[in-house]
Amino acid sequence: MDKPSPYFSNLKCRECGKLYPKEAIHVCDFDFGPLEAAYDYEAIGKVLTRQLIESRAHTMWRYRELLPIDGEPTVGTQVGFTPLVKADRLAKALGVRELYVKNDTVNYPTLSFKDRVVSVALSRARELGFKTVACASTGNLANSVAANAASAGLKSYVLIPADLEQGKVLGSLVYGTNVIGIHGAYDQVNRLCSEIAGKYGWGFVNVNLRPYYAEGSKSMGFEICEQLGWHIPRHTVIPMASGSLLTKIHKAYGEFTKLGLVDAAPFSVYGAQATGCGPIAQAMKRGTDIVKPVPKPETIVKSLAIGTPADGYYAIHAMRDTGGFAEDVTDEEVIEGIKLLAECEGIFAETAGGVTTACTRKLIETGKLPRDESIVICITGHGLKTQEAIVGKCGAPRVIKPSLREFEEQVYNPDAAAATA
Amino acid sequence: MFPTKLITTPVIWELGQKFKVITNVRQASVNDEIGLVSLSLDGEREEIKRAVAWLEELGVKVEPVEIQTIEG
Repeated sequence: MDKPSPYFSNLKCRECGKLYPKEAIHVCDFDFGPLEAAYDYEAIGKVLTRQLIESRAHTMWRYRELLPIDGEPTVGTQVGFTPLVKADRLAKALGVRELYVKNDTVNYPTLSFKDRVVSVALSRARELGFKTVACASTGNLANSVAANAASAGLKSYVLIPADLEQGKVLGSLVYGTNVIGIHGAYDQVNRLCSEIAGKYGWGFVNVNLRPYYAEGSKSMGFEICEQLGWHIPRHTVIPMASGSLLTKIHKAYGEFTKLGLVDAAPFSVYGAQATGCGPIAQAMKRGTDIVKPVPKPETIVKSLAIGTPADGYYAIHAMRDTGGFAEDVTDEEVIEGIKLLAECEGIFAETAGGVTTACTRKLIETGKLPRDESIVICITGHGLKTQEAIVGKCGAPRVIKPSLREFEEQVYNPDAAAATA
Repeated sequence: MFPTKLITTPVIWELGQKFKVITNVRQASVNDEIGLVSLSLDGEREEIKRAVAWLEELGVKVEPVEIQTIEG
């Protein structure tokens, strides 16, 4: 058993502030509010400096004092510190001065930002003595739990809707996890997961381990600041499913400011969703913080298709409090977004990345995002995971015989090329 | 979550009358479009299941407090 961390002090209800011990619990007994990790910032401030962080390995664990585990990380120790790409060509295409892409398409090991949250959840699960971990997911989370549990020697169960596409199922099965397809509506699957977690004492990463899991997302915000030379970007555009990532990047910027690791500066966070399932964006546009559930999401962006977003309310407040906004885009715009990012920056994002890129364009065109200030867009998963979304949308190879004449006739005419040069 | 058409129906009172469950509202927010209530139900497992089924039949969306256990 690890000694309790001197920095990660408690779990705390986000509604009433009641403190709880650091166990596998996630809702407040009193008001059912979500529990969140709380820290002793004074103690952290005494030890955590830019120099200390810079001296550590290039992983998300270089900010370990601000992550909710007691000892050293034991799962996903290589995760994070993905590139922050200065995206000059995309900036030019969008007509803005300074744009960066936080590229979690190359996050290790399963090519999505979910490796961040899972490495924290499973490291904590081990500290709490769990031998079996589980999740309910439609894709990225399942892949990440399966892979990270395999490498940690934990037994894992992945619950998925019974009609999920084969490609996504394979990305979990390969790691030797137990994949369970469940017939029924999402609400019923939700209820089953809660019952299993309660009855068998499994560590469900997004149920009873949720306070730990969610904190992993902060590392994306910490990295952005460090990679910008210890500055908070003026504007950050973040995809929203549950809304958790947006609230945690907001929290990360706040924590770095509080600790003096970055100078206090105004920043705004913006949320991106697909129109076919955009309950948070639509509430934001209506000017309310009551998020109306979407009973039947209809979009190609499966990884953001959460009809009842758990952190929607908090995401709206984070956007509102920082002067940000939310936008949503159609499936056609998503595909254009994927292509734009790929053609300008050589980054192949999954559909959620298309959402973020297309929403950024819309926010710029509508004047919500200014053209002359720094913007970071968060790209959270690799395009190889959702290839079916763009099949037939990117043209086809031209096929010729192996003859130079045919090549010059059909592909490259040197005279015509010289004339247009 | 209550749809608008149920706003004048005393759903929670009826629930307590029809089923052997103890109801306790922990949190609520209501506007002219939707009502969200965090309700604790105490009772026999089967009775709670029947109560939830009745609510759903009425058009109320019922979720465990651990909403959104499925993620992308």
